[in-house]
Amino acid sequence: MNRRELTHRELDHLIVAQELPPLPADRLKQIESAVIADLRPVRPLASDAVYVGALAGIFIAVCIVSCYLIAGRDGWEALSNLQRPVVFIPLLAIASLLAFSLVRQMRPAAKYVRITALLATAVFLLLTASVALIFQSIPETAFAHDSLVCFRAGMMFAIPTAILFGIVLWRGAALSPALTGATAGGLAGLAGLAVLEIHCPNMNVYHIVVAHLSVVVICALAGFIFSSVTFTRRWSNH
Amino acid sequence: MVRYQQADAQATTELIEQLSPQLYRFFAAQLGNADDAQDMLQDASLRIHRVRHTYRPGEPVLPWVYAIARRVRVDNYRKRRRTAMREVVVETLPESAVPASEGTDLPPFHQLIADLPASQREVLTLLKVNGLSLEEVARATSSSVGSVKQKAHRAYERLRGVLQLSRAGKGRAV
Repeated sequence: MNRRELTHRELDHLIVAQELPPLPADRLKQIESAVIADLRPVRPLASDAVYVGALAGIFIAVCIVSCYLIAGRDGWEALSNLQRPVVFIPLLAIASLLAFSLVRQMRPAAKYVRITALLATAVFLLLTASVALIFQSIPETAFAHDSLVCFRAGMMFAIPTAILFGIVLWRGAALSPALTGATAGGLAGLAGLAVLEIHCPNMNVYHIVVAHLSVVVICALAGFIFSSVTFTRRWSNH
Repeated sequence: MVRYQQADAQATTELIEQLSPQLYRFFAAQLGNADDAQDMLQDASLRIHRVRHTYRPGEPVLPWVYAIARRVRVDNYRKRRRTAMREVVVETLPESAVPASEGTDLPPFHQLIADLPASQREVLTLLKVNGLSLEEVARATSSSVGSVKQKAHRAYERLRGVLQLSRAGKGRAV
């Protein structure tokens, strides 16, 4: 018995030498007839640019519509010159990363799907940390009430955005519906957050974290749960 | 693949005849059960058919196919686990997909890789049984080429250990 270590090549040879049984012909015929019976032309998914454009268009449209529905841009004006880029640059970066990830999730075997979603999560955590650092605690008499009003307003814009995203993504997201739902929910939540940052003049750090940033987290969670149920059933054979 | 999307029956039949044996090997090598592998092949073929519009012309076909196949395997595994939690009785042993190797002292492939973590098992199967390139495996598994290399290397290290032990045991027995 040769006791020396096996080389990679020897291992390769041993694995390849293993024989697997052939596929029974009747099973192959069964599959062929099932597929042929349901054969009809399909239109391939549009290019990534079309989907990114659609998602960006919805996102921007929601922000513009909010300016018509809610008078003034009190939030934007209340932010200092330092606070504006600290809030809006990461917000746009996360939105871009999530949109890129979503478009990639539309088709199986696309590159950079998970890494972009993870990167977006990391930037969101960075945004939360930056908000905690540059905004200060301001005493409020009606903290719970004001937070609820803002949270509700954020959700009011995030939910229709999520529905529109769902329509855009309807034909894809066949492999990881839960991840796609969470990503789309997060992006819709970001639209709600952008609306709140434009319009809400409350600069209390706790208010921003509890009432504004939580819109993103809740929407991502809701998207995860909703997609796990609906999209999983849509694509499975059972 | 493009002709399949255009509902060309001849092209569809050819595609199924080319892909099915490869997909069957992918499932059989990991499951070690012929019936389960055939069921999963059928599931995967129907899933591929349902999502055929997600294939973009010009892109490599195999990573797209195996990305769907591995999702079917994961879904089936989860479904079976849920079912197994409710059922206990097993009366007949399933037919083995992989016959005992003749002329070698090796256990069947699925037994050989059974102790590997699922991700390493999958990478090894795609690389060595299905013959995909590192880049194709990376795309099919939504990971990087570096990660695929690392998993394959670790799988080989573990297999080497298993085989050394098995040979040493047989050597002592003789």
